[in-house]
Amino acid sequence: MFDISVILQNWPLFWNGLLVTLFYSAISIGAGLVIGLIIGLIQLTGSRTLTVVGRVYVEIFRNIPLLVILLWIYYAFPIFAGLAVTKFWAGFAGLSLYAGAFYAEILRAGVQSIDRGQTDASTALGMTYGQRMRRVILPQAFRRMIPPLAGQSIIQIKNTTLMSMITVPDLLYQASYVSSFTYRPMEVYTMVGVMFLVLLVPLTFLSRKLETISERVK
Amino acid sequence: MMKSDPLLKIEGLRLKFGQREVLKGVDLSVEKGEVVVLIGASGSGKTSLLRCINLLNMPSAGRITIGGEAIYELDPSARDGNGVPAKTVNRIRSQTGMVFQQFNLFPHMTALENVMEGPVTVKKADHGATRKEALDLLSQMGLEEHVGKYPRQLSGGQQQRVAIARACAMHPQVMLFDEPTSALDPELVGEVMKAMVDLARTGMTMVIVTHELGFAFEIADRVIFLDLGTIAEDGPPKEVLLRPTHPRLKSFVGRFHETADLLRPFLEGG
Repeated sequence: MFDISVILQNWPLFWNGLLVTLFYSAISIGAGLVIGLIIGLIQLTGSRTLTVVGRVYVEIFRNIPLLVILLWIYYAFPIFAGLAVTKFWAGFAGLSLYAGAFYAEILRAGVQSIDRGQTDASTALGMTYGQRMRRVILPQAFRRMIPPLAGQSIIQIKNTTLMSMITVPDLLYQASYVSSFTYRPMEVYTMVGVMFLVLLVPLTFLSRKLETISERVK
Repeated sequence: MMKSDPLLKIEGLRLKFGQREVLKGVDLSVEKGEVVVLIGASGSGKTSLLRCINLLNMPSAGRITIGGEAIYELDPSARDGNGVPAKTVNRIRSQTGMVFQQFNLFPHMTALENVMEGPVTVKKADHGATRKEALDLLSQMGLEEHVGKYPRQLSGGQQQRVAIARACAMHPQVMLFDEPTSALDPELVGEVMKAMVDLARTGMTMVIVTHELGFAFEIADRVIFLDLGTIAEDGPPKEVLLRPTHPRLKSFVGRFHETADLLRPFLEGG
């Protein structure tokens, strides 16, 4: 039967795994947003070269599965580059680069969804490119971007489980470990599922709330 | 006494969209305080010409000066073909006001914030003084009850009057109107026209693109008929609209008179 003591006896391992999962989620969402902002905005400058650079980045990281990216950075890249890559850097870089591509698309689409007339009106007032972006375009675009950004971030938290494949000791990795010596996969993996539910259901509700708020201010 | 320089001077202006030449050498001078209406069939280049004045459209050749200072001067070596530095362009732009067909108010700002945005962000004007002046401008437009409302809470006519106030807040030397009443419900056209007539009476220099020939007749000192990217006729409204000589202008104005004639029995009967 379902033996809760398996979980309780090994709770420190689950707890550590959860902290690792949250840590990688937070830093990769942060770094991903920075990458996304840069890659998204360079595609809007009107420079052909920068647009192509941005497009190539987005297409590469959106179309290679995250698991392949992680394995490549951890096992293949060190051979190419001739330098050692730690688990931390492989996990952090892989997750951030991948998230950056999706955030960039959300940003670009958000800015481009703003009516051309807004640019006309702010330009006619004599605003510079920076003033237009800061005062007129981005405040409107960000409101539209909140729901997709929240959605992508929830996906990002779930994607951290793929790091267990490069032996980063996240929640899923710790669970596999517990399962390997207790022989209780039923309790262990059920617990992993429950912990993600407890973590993400409130966040999903929050993002839906943000969605209705951003609808209202449109 | 020597005649002063025109406020707005356009010389040999050409504009290309890709391979298509939309303006084929336009010369136009507008004196201070003058109200000039641009008319013409769609595709004649009237909106393009208006958008060239503050460089929302970048010309391909010619020269434009506002208040004696060049905002555009062809320089093929420059990235956008304009020899005038971007900083100067922005400064002169801030001295021209523009009102758009679709209003283009900033939807995330209230009516008051829309009017204050230009002076505060572009001119770094004092917040308190700007606020006071913006409130004045909005009440001149009959909008004192709506200063705290967002554009989506206002009717089209009210939005367009906010847009006029927003342009006026920059103390422009010249105001540009791009079909300001075309997107309005018929019953809201009058209030916007009235605001424009009031503005013209203050001595504001205005360049207006419109399809409303009756309004053009009322407000214009000069009517200019554009045809296929050139100025085909230029004169006082009585001459251009009532005694057209250019064949295409004849048929353009004729259609307007025909509509008026068709409506006459209904209007007189009512």
